[in-house]
Amino acid sequence: MAAPRTTRQKEVRRHLLVYAGLTPFLVIAVFPIYWMVITAFKQEPDLYRMENIPFWFNMAPTLKNFNILFYQTNYGSWIVNTMMIATWVAIITLLTAVPAGYALARLRLPGAENIGIAIFMTYLVPGIILFLPLSRVVATLGLQDSWWALVLVYPTFTVPFCTWLMMGFFKTVPMEMEEAARVDGCGQLGAFIRVVLPVSVPGVLTAVIFAFTLSMQDFLYGLAFVSPGDQKPVPVGVPTELIRGDVYFWGSLMGAALLVGLPVAILYNFFLDRFIQGITGGVVK
Amino acid sequence: MWWQSHSAQRKTFGYTLLAPAALYVLLLVGAPFLFSLWLAVSDANVGDPVAHFVGLENFRAAWEMDTFWIAFRNSVVFLVVAAIFKGLLGTSLAFLLLQNFRGKKLIRGLVVIPFTLPIAISVLSWKWMYDSQFSVINWVLSRAGLIGSYGSESWPVWLGQPHLALAACIAVNVWRTFPFSAIVLLAGFTAIPLEVLDAAKVDGCTFFQRFRHIVTPMIFPILMIGFLFDTVFTLSDLSVVYLLTQGGPANASKILPVLAYQIGIQAGNLGRGAAIALFLVPLLLPALILVLRNIKRREW
Repeated sequence: MAAPRTTRQKEVRRHLLVYAGLTPFLVIAVFPIYWMVITAFKQEPDLYRMENIPFWFNMAPTLKNFNILFYQTNYGSWIVNTMMIATWVAIITLLTAVPAGYALARLRLPGAENIGIAIFMTYLVPGIILFLPLSRVVATLGLQDSWWALVLVYPTFTVPFCTWLMMGFFKTVPMEMEEAARVDGCGQLGAFIRVVLPVSVPGVLTAVIFAFTLSMQDFLYGLAFVSPGDQKPVPVGVPTELIRGDVYFWGSLMGAALLVGLPVAILYNFFLDRFIQGITGGVVK
Repeated sequence: MWWQSHSAQRKTFGYTLLAPAALYVLLLVGAPFLFSLWLAVSDANVGDPVAHFVGLENFRAAWEMDTFWIAFRNSVVFLVVAAIFKGLLGTSLAFLLLQNFRGKKLIRGLVVIPFTLPIAISVLSWKWMYDSQFSVINWVLSRAGLIGSYGSESWPVWLGQPHLALAACIAVNVWRTFPFSAIVLLAGFTAIPLEVLDAAKVDGCTFFQRFRHIVTPMIFPILMIGFLFDTVFTLSDLSVVYLLTQGGPANASKILPVLAYQIGIQAGNLGRGAAIALFLVPLLLPALILVLRNIKRREW
């Protein structure tokens, strides 16, 4: 009887130590988000009462901040723009990155390795070097001042990343599948579309998620290319349009940020390991 | 085998599948990069579509600008200081997450939120926390007796005081990326096969030997690549500083990306802006080359 109790006690003590160690990290990581949530539901005067404890409601919570967002600002349009941009970027990314990843991984093309690395390296050319020349490209195509500009430029980082991701993915599909399909009379395209793609749905889905979440991480391109208030995506519209002069509507600002930020963060959370796996290039199994 | 007998056909098929992605990248990353080299040696302007070759004039002008050197120095300070803190916090967190404990998935999920939240959105939360009067950070410090009350000399105005502004921006970058460091490190640890460690133990290796000869060489490439990725993204990110301080007060927190944006887009001087952005290349290049070597070394 005595032995199991001591192991149990040891376990409990170990747990307590780990939790104690993790607590400061959790507080640092989550507090800014908690602060957004509580601010979004507070009444305006409640935000500015410093004599009370600010971590909880000192006045009744309110939805007024969200009301303002949807009825007095372009927030609704920004959400629509964001969804439209993400959808188009995902479509473009899929149509280009999936076939490219397949070709590089499976068709034994001469130079496939170097081409793959070259495409991936373009993911590391930062927007800050490309945004000025791209602003000219966008202007020449007549896309400035519309969210279509972002549909054009976001694939510059989603295509390289997703090509790399799909390449890694297609390498894990057994080669025998295509051979069997070929024996059964499928052409090359037929083998790819009817046999390889259906078993690659998880990989393709991951690529879609990244096309979506990586688009949401951009700020520079949106800031530089889209100026009309109703054309912006959420991450750009919220900080540039909801602040008027030096008047900050913190409640609405935090509400606007949260409503879109949190779902994206949660979605990304589930695929974070795939992202890390992607950039560390498949060392991690 | 079919792929041997249809070699030419297979190649055509392969390059056809590859073409759309390759073209996209060539036209919208490769060509713009070359174009930015041209912009940097031209007098291109937002208002005037016709640009003329001006040689190295833009680089010379930047070189002689005080603001440029302030931004350059701030960029380097930002990168180095942030990397130290991310490294320390990330490593400690990784060691904690390496343990087995209840609720690990949930806790891990919560701790990585700073990294997964879109950056422009989380910066807003920080802007509110750094408010000059209603800062929650100051509220806590004040209640703890570490600073005076609002208006007193010891009340920090995070985004308004020159010596605090850059530190405040660095803190946001650290907050956002320390979970990334931790996860990359964790990925490295879990890549080490336990059998190898056990075998070494059986063979009589000490903890230190195991760490030195097995753990370090296996983790190192992964750590390196995570570090280099972070270097590229930290150096080229404009959103934190732009949204918090716009580089102020009086250039105290100005970094190269913000300067390039302000000159290239806001002042409309495309050539000068492109030249300033290109000054990031010598800083980025070592990182890019190391990533490339790291990837190439891997088995395919």
